[in-house]
Amino acid sequence: MKNIPPILAFLAALLLGGAAEAQQKYVFTPQWTPQAQFAGYYVAQELGFYKDAGIDLEIVHPNSTESAMSRLRQDKSHFTTIQLCQAMEIIDSGMPLVNILQTSMNNGLVIVSRNHLNPAQQKGIRVGTWSVGFDQIALAMSLKEDLNYQWIRFANTINLFLAGAIDATLAMSYNEYYLLKQSGVEVTEENTYRFCDHNYNVQEDGVYMKPDFYEKNKEVAHRFAEASKRGWIYCAEHPDEALEIVMKYVTMYHVATNRVMQKLQLDEILRLQVDRDSGQREFRLRPDMVKQASDLMLESQLLLKEVTYEQILAR
Amino acid sequence: MIHIDPIYNPLNFLRASFSRRLNFVVAILASVVFSVALVFLFEQSRQTVQNEAMDHATQLLNNTALRVNNILEQVEVATDNTGWLVSRHLDAPDSAYVYSRAIVQNNEQVAGCSVSFEPYYYRDRGRYYSIYTKREMGQVMTKQEGSESYEYFYMDWYQLPKLLGHPAWTEPFLDEDREEEAVQDKMILSYCKPILDEKGTYVGTIATDLSLRWLSETISAVKPYPHSYSFMIGLGGTFFVHPDPDKLLYQSIFTETLLQDNPERLALGKAMVSGEEGMRQLILDGELCHVFYKPLGETGFSAAIVCPERDIFYGYNRLRNVVILIFILGMLLMHIILSAIFRREIRPLSTLAEQAETIADGHFEQTLPNNGRIDEIGRLCQSFSEMQQSLVTYIDEIKSTSAEKASIERELYVARDIQMSMVPRIFPPFPDREDIDLYASMTPAKEVGGDLYDFFVEKDSLYFCVGDVSGKGVPASLFMAVTRNLFRVIAQQGQSPEEIANQINHALSAENDQGMFVTMFIGMVDLTTGRLDFCNCGHNPPVICEPGRKACFLPMQYVNTALGTWDGFEFQGESIPDIRKWQILLYTDGLNEAENPKYELFGNDHLIELMNGVSQMTAQEIIQMLQEEVEKHRSGAAPNDDLTLLSLSIKE
Repeated sequence: MKNIPPILAFLAALLLGGAAEAQQKYVFTPQWTPQAQFAGYYVAQELGFYKDAGIDLEIVHPNSTESAMSRLRQDKSHFTTIQLCQAMEIIDSGMPLVNILQTSMNNGLVIVSRNHLNPAQQKGIRVGTWSVGFDQIALAMSLKEDLNYQWIRFANTINLFLAGAIDATLAMSYNEYYLLKQSGVEVTEENTYRFCDHNYNVQEDGVYMKPDFYEKNKEVAHRFAEASKRGWIYCAEHPDEALEIVMKYVTMYHVATNRVMQKLQLDEILRLQVDRDSGQREFRLRPDMVKQASDLMLESQLLLKEVTYEQILAR
Repeated sequence: MIHIDPIYNPLNFLRASFSRRLNFVVAILASVVFSVALVFLFEQSRQTVQNEAMDHATQLLNNTALRVNNILEQVEVATDNTGWLVSRHLDAPDSAYVYSRAIVQNNEQVAGCSVSFEPYYYRDRGRYYSIYTKREMGQVMTKQEGSESYEYFYMDWYQLPKLLGHPAWTEPFLDEDREEEAVQDKMILSYCKPILDEKGTYVGTIATDLSLRWLSETISAVKPYPHSYSFMIGLGGTFFVHPDPDKLLYQSIFTETLLQDNPERLALGKAMVSGEEGMRQLILDGELCHVFYKPLGETGFSAAIVCPERDIFYGYNRLRNVVILIFILGMLLMHIILSAIFRREIRPLSTLAEQAETIADGHFEQTLPNNGRIDEIGRLCQSFSEMQQSLVTYIDEIKSTSAEKASIERELYVARDIQMSMVPRIFPPFPDREDIDLYASMTPAKEVGGDLYDFFVEKDSLYFCVGDVSGKGVPASLFMAVTRNLFRVIAQQGQSPEEIANQINHALSAENDQGMFVTMFIGMVDLTTGRLDFCNCGHNPPVICEPGRKACFLPMQYVNTALGTWDGFEFQGESIPDIRKWQILLYTDGLNEAENPKYELFGNDHLIELMNGVSQMTAQEIIQMLQEEVEKHRSGAAPNDDLTLLSLSIKE
């Protein structure tokens, strides 16, 4: 072993370089409290996929005083998940973001109405929505379809709806939709409006970074995205094991949920990750959907100017 | 093929013993009667226990609801009492501090109170103006709340009265700011009331907090049975009071119905969230439970008491099991005692059966013991004993009678031989005379009979006769013997048939106290000329077969009367010039009146028909043919009369 071949020397340098890089801790912040919506990241973390990718990752959830975007802005987190429309809104407001991984291929937003009525046929009704957003497509739809919903923003989930204070509520098909069912509300095709079935099928969750940080850490971003993707594929192949890992996080953070809800959520999240056209988990941002979202939001004045696919996608 | 030994066949096992069968029937009947009675009793008792349990649980639930409502009402009253002051002093924003604090300080059960206003209601106070006083660790603290990270006007407690337009209770929620460790202490529910300005416009919300612990303790304390528990659910079925911490806040009553069908649980949940009151039976955590539920005031919450059935019916089940055990043991004991009693009672019958078998084997001398009983069995044994004694006597009599009968039979056989020896029985009777073909037979219906025939040749004359004495048996046979002797003696004197008849009639009529008589055909053939002289004394007409003619009964001018009936009667004779080559058949009514089993007679027509084919037959062949025909006609029936046949043919 006196003469070390140049190629081995190069590999050793790479490994050493990797080791040096691994010493830096990276922080990932999903946009919500722990739940199966983020199962792929938990699985990648718990099964060491990030470690395998040479990333020392910490998952830090947002809290009532500090949102995920706030953490990203302040460089407390390096990666965060965010919905496409929300990302476009933020970009439009002057904070550029880049998408390094797109997990959702379908829109999960629904409107559930009281009293077995079709939400799309009730003008001017009170519709509950989250005080923190996620409703851009719904706002656009309300204007476009001339429904002029009266939006009631709420901090909690479905209590206003249950108390009869609002006529309908926005819900995520993987979360509030099942919460409503769990509350004994009869949720049927009749009183449920699924945006994905009515020409509003715009992708949702993806992983975003600040462009300046991305430019300096492209390799890390790429490895993070690949490890996360690996985590999600593992979830699809081993949903029971993934659910166990989700329940570990849920329990750790005292989230008021249960195994049934998380299982239903995981199943739905995985379903939304399958592209309707190809039937595959594509993990890519679709230019047509970006264009559609941008047009809808421009039309409803949620955007001042168009946000393009090129602007969002990390190169 | 499986062969089952009859000994092990349960039916045969029962059939083999009367006591066993009786015991079985009694056991079955007793079981049925007691079972029906017990089932009825159990059902009634169970219903009573259930009704009492329902009353008890319902009363407990009502009391609990009343206590909860009292607590809730206190909060409502406390809020109302101070709330109107807030509306009155809207022009003084700082007064909110005073009222918020006053509500908490003056009401021990109030955990906090918020007086909050719409964004920018007070321009100088900015977007957020919410005064919140809370009681924590025994201290009462007041502060202003609201920020970008806590936009109170999106909270349920703020929005509910605003949207509904009237006061309302929120669902219990976790107040993360509280430092208490217990979840129940962090959980609060708020009574929220809209703050209206003088124009009635909504300007804010006053919300008074109640720690869930108050409700939790009140509801959890309800425990009517050792394993029963209580729970409370909110508007959406979420468990806010429940002994299982895994369910508390994290699950709703509907959670378990999402992945697997559970219609009963779903129905219970729907009934509870709909504010219904009632009781339902369903399986919870694998155990059948009775769930009593009732809504709590105007909160939209519903409280329930879960009573496992095993608890409700614990005493009843224990009693039922004891009764069933006593019933089974009682039945077993009854079976054993009845078996012994039946065996003892039936024993004389068994003994009787064994002794009857011995008697049946011919041991008539077997004596039956007197068991001293006076009941049916005793009477049966007594009767059987008497019957056995009668049987012995009767059998002795039979033996004696049988011996006498055998003796008489022997004598009768002798008499028969004697009687048969009185008529000529050697055929051919006149071997040296080829012109006479004569054959006769006499068959008594009993040992001895009253028929007779006779014939003899005297000086080229053939005398013959066939007679039938009235009656049968010994008297007839004796009368026959006398008649035959008279015929032989008188005929041998060379008398004509009518003279013979006259003399026999005279002899028989004398001292004929029995009134017996005899019909007789008397004939005499001159063997040289073939002339037949005859006298028919009331007898059947003979059948004649002339060559070339059909058989027929002998036409007679005089039938006369029977011999022995009328002393002094003048018998008339007749004659036929030549009977050579004729076949003449003489017979008694044992031939034409022979009966078959259906009592049908042999008949004259049948006789004539048979006699039409005898022209080429010998006398013996004719007699044998007729005997066979009679036998055939009888078809096994016993002879109803003596049968005597005599066939005669005179050749040239």
